[in-house]
Amino acid sequence: MPKRDMSFKKIAGVTMMLACLAFTFLPIIWSFILSFRPTTHLFEPIWQSPTQLTWDNFQTLARSDFPFALFNSVVTAGGSTILAMIIGVPAGFALAKGRSQRKFIASWALLLLRMAPPVGFVIPLFLIYLNIGLLDTWIGLIAAYMVLTLPMVVWSSWTSLSQIPDELIEASLLDGASLFQTLVKVVLPAARPGIVATAVLAFLIAWNDFFFALVITRSDTVTAPVAIMNFVSYASVDWGSIALASIVLTLPTVPVIIFANKYIVQSMGGAVKG
Amino acid sequence: MLPSAGVQPQFNRAYRMMLFPAVFAVGIFAIIPLLGMLGLSFTDFHLIKPWDRDIGLHNFERLIGDRRFRNSISVMMMLSVFGVVAQVTLGLAIAVGLEKIVPRWRFARGMFVVPFVVPHVAVALIWLSLFTPTLSPINAFFDIFAITVPPLLTSQYGAIAAIVIADTWASTPFVMLLILAALQGISSDLDEAASIDGASKMQIFWRITLPLLKPALLMVALFRFIETLKHFPLIFVMTNGGPGRATQATNYYAYIQTFQSSNVSYGAAIAVFLFLFAGIISFYVARANARLTDA
Repeated sequence: MPKRDMSFKKIAGVTMMLACLAFTFLPIIWSFILSFRPTTHLFEPIWQSPTQLTWDNFQTLARSDFPFALFNSVVTAGGSTILAMIIGVPAGFALAKGRSQRKFIASWALLLLRMAPPVGFVIPLFLIYLNIGLLDTWIGLIAAYMVLTLPMVVWSSWTSLSQIPDELIEASLLDGASLFQTLVKVVLPAARPGIVATAVLAFLIAWNDFFFALVITRSDTVTAPVAIMNFVSYASVDWGSIALASIVLTLPTVPVIIFANKYIVQSMGGAVKG
Repeated sequence: MLPSAGVQPQFNRAYRMMLFPAVFAVGIFAIIPLLGMLGLSFTDFHLIKPWDRDIGLHNFERLIGDRRFRNSISVMMMLSVFGVVAQVTLGLAIAVGLEKIVPRWRFARGMFVVPFVVPHVAVALIWLSLFTPTLSPINAFFDIFAITVPPLLTSQYGAIAAIVIADTWASTPFVMLLILAALQGISSDLDEAASIDGASKMQIFWRITLPLLKPALLMVALFRFIETLKHFPLIFVMTNGGPGRATQATNYYAYIQTFQSSNVSYGAAIAVFLFLFAGIISFYVARANARLTDA
């Protein structure tokens, strides 16, 4: 048995960590409790009737517009991720390996776009869409999401692809492959974890968006984050459905924790060593 | 012999072709709307009576005299400053905890990241339920001891605190990951040398670890500061700007002016202000980032 150092400081440290873990997890546990509570027992503390649980909220959710909104979310977040990857990854490759005097400008512009307040994009986009009929369409929302996903994809693939050794690219070019073939057949497979993480994070950004969808969608293409608000009305708030919908909405983002969490730092703006 | 990294002049054209679609897309989806916003801010465009005259800087003059605008700035600063301080403190505590105090818990790192991936609407709704006195288990728990928890969302500073708490819950994992990465980049030789010289663990933390972390802390604080300027779902869902105008941050005020009062051009002027403000801070982020990568 290793000697256990149970000093006061150690206990204080462990207590602090337990408190942080509780702060992190109690709200999540609470949302699971809420989603299984029948409406009649909703306002009773859980320890008074811990066995009063129900599956009713699943039915409410299935019968509502929420599944349809989930579909809209998958299409728009997925569409904008694919588009941003197709456009952004070659650009990231060019910035990582090409020779240019203007790389500093590119990095500053990308950062500025990541930082810019969305309300600045949304007002003119709304007016343009109003005039050309793109309000409440998939294409309109996918295009709007490019503002969010493209700078992130370029930045993140720039960082990932910088780590690919130049020799690999040169060897492929010597064999007579074109630069584009080299990117697709040699560079991308070599950088796969980083590229997959980039796509996952781009999807996360679009999937989590509330603001763009709130302004640009009306009824046909309402995404899931906006549709949740349907369970909140002036008369009453359907807490059970809200909690269950929140859990369902969070599920597709779980891959981020499993295999992209070490790339979060790299793709979100910081180029921190480590 | 081929020259090294990216110095193959015959491929410059191909590289430029790869860059072009992204530059084009950014131009269409970002630059045009931004120019549109700037253009709108010099007009008196209104959704209900859509005539469109050039009124020069009038919207910006109106901003200076607008009480609600000044209120929105102080709300925004409170949300940002309290939020950033709470998140950096807590993120530092968890990162140092995982690295130094309970290294055996390193597997828990992934668990601490969970709130970061919860969509902000869901974050807002979960915390709204926790801050609803009739529903909340927090209130129910304290009721056992006959303690009444004051309802946060109906008081001016309580509502701000509620949003800061929800934001801290959601964003601390990001801060923690960034600090953890910086912490792992610090060589342990320094710690060992200091401890051989007789420094206590506390001294090592305050005199060695913390100064070395300073660039990373500054970077993540600035980054979070800019993100907190953009608060929207939390305010929209939890308080709707209220009670009164207590949580009407500038970003939210621009939204209200544009989409609820139909004052599109005035909303655009507020957005221009916000954009310039974020631009100045992102300049410092870029500089902090450059220093961090050079160091």
